[in-house]
Amino acid sequence: MMNLSRSVALISLFLLPLLSFSFSVDNPTDRRVLVLLDDVSLKSSHSIFFSTLKSRGFDLDFKLADDSKLALQRYGQYLYDGLIVFAPSTERFGGSLDSKSIADFVDSGRDLILSADTSASDLIRGIALECGVDFDEDSSAMVIDHSSFSVSDGDHTLIAADDLVKSDAILGKTKIEAPVLFRGVAHSLNPTNNLVLKVLSASPSAYSANPSSKLSSPPQLTGSAISLVSVMQARNNARVVISGSLQLFSDRLFRSGVQKAGSPNKYEKSGNEQFATELSKWVFHERGHLKAGSLVHHRVGETDEPAIYRIKDDLEFSVEILEWSGKSWEPYVADDVQVQFYMMSPYVLKTLSTDKKGMFHTSFKVPDVYGVFQFKVEYGKLGYTTLSLSKQIPVRPYRHNEYERFIPTAYPYYGACFTTMAGFFVFSFVYLYHK
Amino acid sequence: MVKSTSKDAQDLFRSLHSAYSATPTNLKIIDLYVVFSVFTALIQVAYMALVGSFPFNSFLSGVLSCIGTAVLAVCLRIQVNKENKEFKDLAPERAFADFVLCNLVLHLVIINFLG
Repeated sequence: MMNLSRSVALISLFLLPLLSFSFSVDNPTDRRVLVLLDDVSLKSSHSIFFSTLKSRGFDLDFKLADDSKLALQRYGQYLYDGLIVFAPSTERFGGSLDSKSIADFVDSGRDLILSADTSASDLIRGIALECGVDFDEDSSAMVIDHSSFSVSDGDHTLIAADDLVKSDAILGKTKIEAPVLFRGVAHSLNPTNNLVLKVLSASPSAYSANPSSKLSSPPQLTGSAISLVSVMQARNNARVVISGSLQLFSDRLFRSGVQKAGSPNKYEKSGNEQFATELSKWVFHERGHLKAGSLVHHRVGETDEPAIYRIKDDLEFSVEILEWSGKSWEPYVADDVQVQFYMMSPYVLKTLSTDKKGMFHTSFKVPDVYGVFQFKVEYGKLGYTTLSLSKQIPVRPYRHNEYERFIPTAYPYYGACFTTMAGFFVFSFVYLYHK
Repeated sequence: MVKSTSKDAQDLFRSLHSAYSATPTNLKIIDLYVVFSVFTALIQVAYMALVGSFPFNSFLSGVLSCIGTAVLAVCLRIQVNKENKEFKDLAPERAFADFVLCNLVLHLVIINFLG
């Protein structure tokens, strides 16, 4: 038995590098996702969500959150490329998992879907705090909205939310018509944190309080400051979705119709399935993931990259940007990519024009300043990976023989000198031969 | 008073004119040359006042060529003037040869400095 497990371990050690599971830029294919559940029934009560993931090629590995054999890494290699934590009430993970190992998992560039529900344990709150999301401190509080609830609900905790972020990258091109049903806890985001984003916000009439007890003091979290579902895109482009409601992903809410209180529109199907599917596409990099080739620059008329430019040179600049479509690298089309010619501050800032095949190019004149410049492309569009490229290039002044030979303003002086010489010549003749 | 001063000015001018007509022709030629080169220098200064002193070396070179050749012509006039007791023994050919040589050096310098 020991021999068998050891040999299996040895074989997997050799095979692991070959099977290249992680989302490497060159071959992002079938990916393994670990799904942590705190109740086995979640597998069936959220089966539609999991089956949409499976149909897109994900390899889901269901485990209970307190399974003692849980491990994200083995021998320094990560076993999974994505993690879904649907375990809102777990106090401690089993195996080698804890909030630090999950933070390291995200730090390595891998993606995470985390969901709390009507109760959120301190462990889940801690992981969310690492990602910049603050759940309501009151552990019995839920989001209550007396004007934006679903009419099928009794105590106004089933919110029908339609305040979605406007981003085609995160939520897809098709507009989500029906409101999204939500029942769970509120969280807020630090407004100075520019990595987190509210995807589904509560309406201005929402607040976070315990629904079964009377309010003794005004609630802390109110209105649109409450975020129902947030995303975070880390600086290494790992994506995290944090939801305050596990029921949002459940089959029951996927299938249920929705009518918002006070609105005459009745929808046969809530927007939950479309919302969850599109969000999962974004978080697992099937949309909005950009890759840039190297920056190419050269003088107009040449093809090689020079080692140094001279002031007032004409140069051409181009960069290739591709977008991952889920199956292949497609050319990225946008009209807001900019390049800076930067030395302490941008001397030239130009918007790149695209040929729709992924190449972005522009041309400009080197400014009349010499020094060491950088070509910088800093692209941070909402929902897309941040591109931060730079290439250094020095710029020299004119050589002494590159100035214009004759200065037009000085023509009178040239004329005066030659006139004097001619005058001297004529004078000496006249002086010598006069009578 | 005004009438007498204008009459004095006219008398002064007339006496200067008659005195000047008595000078030898070669000195008059030198005087004409000096006036011509100073005039050229003044034109250049006026031009610089208009457009600014951008190629300052060219401006200096142009003005120096005019003023330098004027100075050398004045030296020639002093040395050649028969009424000058100091240069009584100096042959006028020698003075003219000096003038030519110095002018050549001057023009070499200004062409170099013209830029």
